[in-house]
Amino acid sequence: MIEYDTVSFAYGDTPVLDSVSATIDDGEFVVLVGPNGSGKTTLLRHANGLLAPDSGTVRVNGRAVDEDVVAARTAVGMVFQHPRDQFVAATVGSDVAFGPENLGLDRSEIDDRVERALEAVNLQGRTTDRIDELSGGEQARVAIAGALAMEPTHLVLDEPFTGLDRPSRQSVHAQLRALSRDGTSIVVSTHAPGSVADLADRIVVMGDGRLVHDGTPDELPDPSLSDVFDAGSVG
Amino acid sequence: MLTYEPDETVAHALDPRAKLAFQVAFAVAAISRPALAPLGVLSLLALGVLLSANLSPPRVLFGYRYPFGILCLSVLIAAVTIGPPWIDLADGVRTAHAAYGVGLVLLVSAAYVRSTPVRHSRAAIQSLVPGTPGRLLGIGVSLVFRFVPVLRRDIGTIRDAMAARLGTERSATERAVVLSSRGLTRAFVRADRLSVALQARCFAWNPTLPPLSFARADGLVLLLSVVLVTVPLW
Amino acid sequence: MSTDHEYDSVALVPESIVRPFARAALLAALTGAVAFVSIPIPFSPAPLTLQVLFVFLAGLYLGPVWGSVSLLLYLTAGGAGAPIFAGGHAGIGHLFGKTGGFLWSYPIAAFVIGALVHGRTGFGFGSIDPTADETPSGGFFDSLEVRDPATVGLGRLVVALSVGTLIVYAIGAGYAMWLLSLSPVEAVAQFVAPFVIGEVLKMAATIALVRDGRYELS
Repeated sequence: MIEYDTVSFAYGDTPVLDSVSATIDDGEFVVLVGPNGSGKTTLLRHANGLLAPDSGTVRVNGRAVDEDVVAARTAVGMVFQHPRDQFVAATVGSDVAFGPENLGLDRSEIDDRVERALEAVNLQGRTTDRIDELSGGEQARVAIAGALAMEPTHLVLDEPFTGLDRPSRQSVHAQLRALSRDGTSIVVSTHAPGSVADLADRIVVMGDGRLVHDGTPDELPDPSLSDVFDAGSVG
Repeated sequence: MLTYEPDETVAHALDPRAKLAFQVAFAVAAISRPALAPLGVLSLLALGVLLSANLSPPRVLFGYRYPFGILCLSVLIAAVTIGPPWIDLADGVRTAHAAYGVGLVLLVSAAYVRSTPVRHSRAAIQSLVPGTPGRLLGIGVSLVFRFVPVLRRDIGTIRDAMAARLGTERSATERAVVLSSRGLTRAFVRADRLSVALQARCFAWNPTLPPLSFARADGLVLLLSVVLVTVPLW
Repeated sequence: MSTDHEYDSVALVPESIVRPFARAALLAALTGAVAFVSIPIPFSPAPLTLQVLFVFLAGLYLGPVWGSVSLLLYLTAGGAGAPIFAGGHAGIGHLFGKTGGFLWSYPIAAFVIGALVHGRTGFGFGSIDPTADETPSGGFFDSLEVRDPATVGLGRLVVALSVGTLIVYAIGAGYAMWLLSLSPVEAVAQFVAPFVIGEVLKMAATIALVRDGRYELS
């Protein structure tokens, strides 16, 4: 469970988060919607201690993030926009192993996790493939596998569909649906929800550093939000 | 171009640490201008090394035609003297002797490049360089391998854009400025994204190191390296 | 699924190191990525290659510490087989070969350029901001400061780049001279003279790039 309790944050003099409170339960599929600059990325980066709030607290599975950053980073797996810039190795297997290696696990456990993570994104047996030669969708899936290898309770994806073509986007959708069915909680942030909204248990809308709406997909769209969704009708 | 290729040769099976030690020892031996007899032995050894990595010597020589061409040029420049008798044969031979040794070192390192994947090199670096410097060096090498193709594409894109805008009419300096400033900007944007991802993935000082196993064949290679280091004393 | 308290022994690399380290690694990769680029110069026997220009930029934008780390990574990765030495070559042999001296001089030159341009702040002594606390807390890497080279005086830049270039050519040609039993004249004729025009243009390009503020350090 990720709990935000009256979290405020500013970059220098520019306020970005304004007393945000929200909870993401285990197993939930949440889509975080909002225009660029509304604070989505900043909010998500508080969940694993990449950013620390100016005031308020963030708790992951009951523990304050700043008390145990490693616990937060293993519990909340994060995949960023631009998958190409988040790989540390030239081949799939070496890259997915990076997280578990950092945790100091046994080699056999690392190998098991790499295999399971690649299976979960439908890339089993591709450990020696060169990442550079994969399609955009496959790269996004390798990035997801890298996060899954930490065995997180929550998987957070920040604008994962930017730059992906339609088939790639659909293959990522399918992976997310399968992961969600297997009990992993998923948070997807996007300025263009499109069809990912269909997967959501809950849709949270952000604007100017505040939560503007929080509810099931049926309760949307609020007419005032329709422009957000129009901008994002990408299919 | 010569790069790593998966295979099941003798060289591929060796421990990267033994291969690194051997290359350094071979280089020490070959650039110390050994007498003709040891140089002959080194030549045979270099040939054996190439074959152990399943590399064809003519192919490697062809791949290295530019470095070897420059070595030949050095010999030529050394042989030429200003004023009569114009050609100083002894001087040229001395340089040719040295250049030959340098050429052998290149051949031996070609076998390493062909037979050693990055993760082995990274593991070797982290086991040979202790502590945090070894950790940064090991991951850093992995990152360079990862990002060279990405940045090469960036550079290609920038060059194309430059050419499209009458780039050929610009001066060499201007082109260098545009290429390097845009290249640097893009690289640093990528670096900043990468640094966030590294942190999210728990980039740590004390990870599980990639496995390496030192077998009997590696011991032999190491022994040979020790012998090679003594060649300059012969 | 994971529970807490599992990974108490994990020692995270702090952000103050991860960020400049990632930049150092990518600058190393960029130095390798331009190994294929050569720009012809009229009336010069050798084309302009960009590698030394990135040695300059490493010292200028990363400072003496991370700048030299960057080029050390370049040498190590090239030695380990990344096709990033001049002409796309790789392997330890090149570090011992005729141009090996040039390669080894890169981290040294980046260090010296960084030291000359950034002064004490580049080593974590004192601060660029005169109003800031003189003794920054935290470790060595937290205290390193790199000022925007655009704010550095022209004279200082010219001196730093000239000294850096001299280091590159002194070590590069000196090593080749020793390695191949060349006389000083022969070494200069082959390893210095053909590149003089290119080096002057590179310095001009670097200064233009820096002063222009086209690249903004943030």
